[in-house]
Amino acid sequence: MEPNASSKEYIELKFSPHWNYISAARSFLQNFLAISTGDQTRADRIAMSASELLENAVKYSVNSETYMYVGVDHESRSVSITVTNESTPESIQALKAIFDKVTKGDPLEAYVSQMKEAATRSDGKSQLGLVRIRYEAGAELSMRIEQDTRVSITVEMK
Amino acid sequence: MIHINPVEQEKIKISATSSPEGGTVFFSGDIDMADPSPLLDPLFEQVHSQALDGGASAVTLDFTQLAFLNSSGIKAIAKWIMRLAAVPDARKYKIKIIHNPEVTWQLTSLPTLTYLVPGSVEIIS
Repeated sequence: MEPNASSKEYIELKFSPHWNYISAARSFLQNFLAISTGDQTRADRIAMSASELLENAVKYSVNSETYMYVGVDHESRSVSITVTNESTPESIQALKAIFDKVTKGDPLEAYVSQMKEAATRSDGKSQLGLVRIRYEAGAELSMRIEQDTRVSITVEMK
Repeated sequence: MIHINPVEQEKIKISATSSPEGGTVFFSGDIDMADPSPLLDPLFEQVHSQALDGGASAVTLDFTQLAFLNSSGIKAIAKWIMRLAAVPDARKYKIKIIHNPEVTWQLTSLPTLTYLVPGSVEIIS
């Protein structure tokens, strides 16, 4: 990819779902976006969002690769991240329930409410990743499920 | 008043110093493990008990050297803060969080913690 060769740039990453790769992907993306967008704060927010999406993907992935696409549109100043993985229908439906819940209403109220709920959990899950992205990155989230076992979450920041 | 066994793991170091008002817990590195609750829940529980037993007025968390905190780490802090909601006003202490304004997530994540138990958490530079 040649910097400034086009108003649109992208990067794709595919990796086996190992936890240790998440921080490596986060650091790489942070550096890539700082160069691509020239905005360190924005790069940090996007990298945090990618990290949270990858954590979800790796935690619930079933025998498959984790795929991430990051697109930068310089003309509209938008950045999108899509993370795709395969999981069980049960895990995907549980994720959809959280998605539907945390993408409604005021982002800060949803975040605080979800934090209070998380504080009562003792199962090791936080269920805070998506609501954190929505509030802290000021992002719009969308979700796509294919054949019950493949899920993509897209985060778009303008 | 606040005493913990220092933690030195691959990516995270945690230590504490005592002070007349309570004490300070220092974090450096990354909290980005899949489930930090086995590390953080007992630690915060210990700090909470010591603060109550010692009549602390404040416990400070120094996050200036904490490079990353994932949402599972936020949950652990939220869990501790929510314990304060059940403490009678006369025994309540304040949680002060020293943040690093050059670290983006600290500017967006930490202020949200002040909404959990109003008046109990203060973000300072």
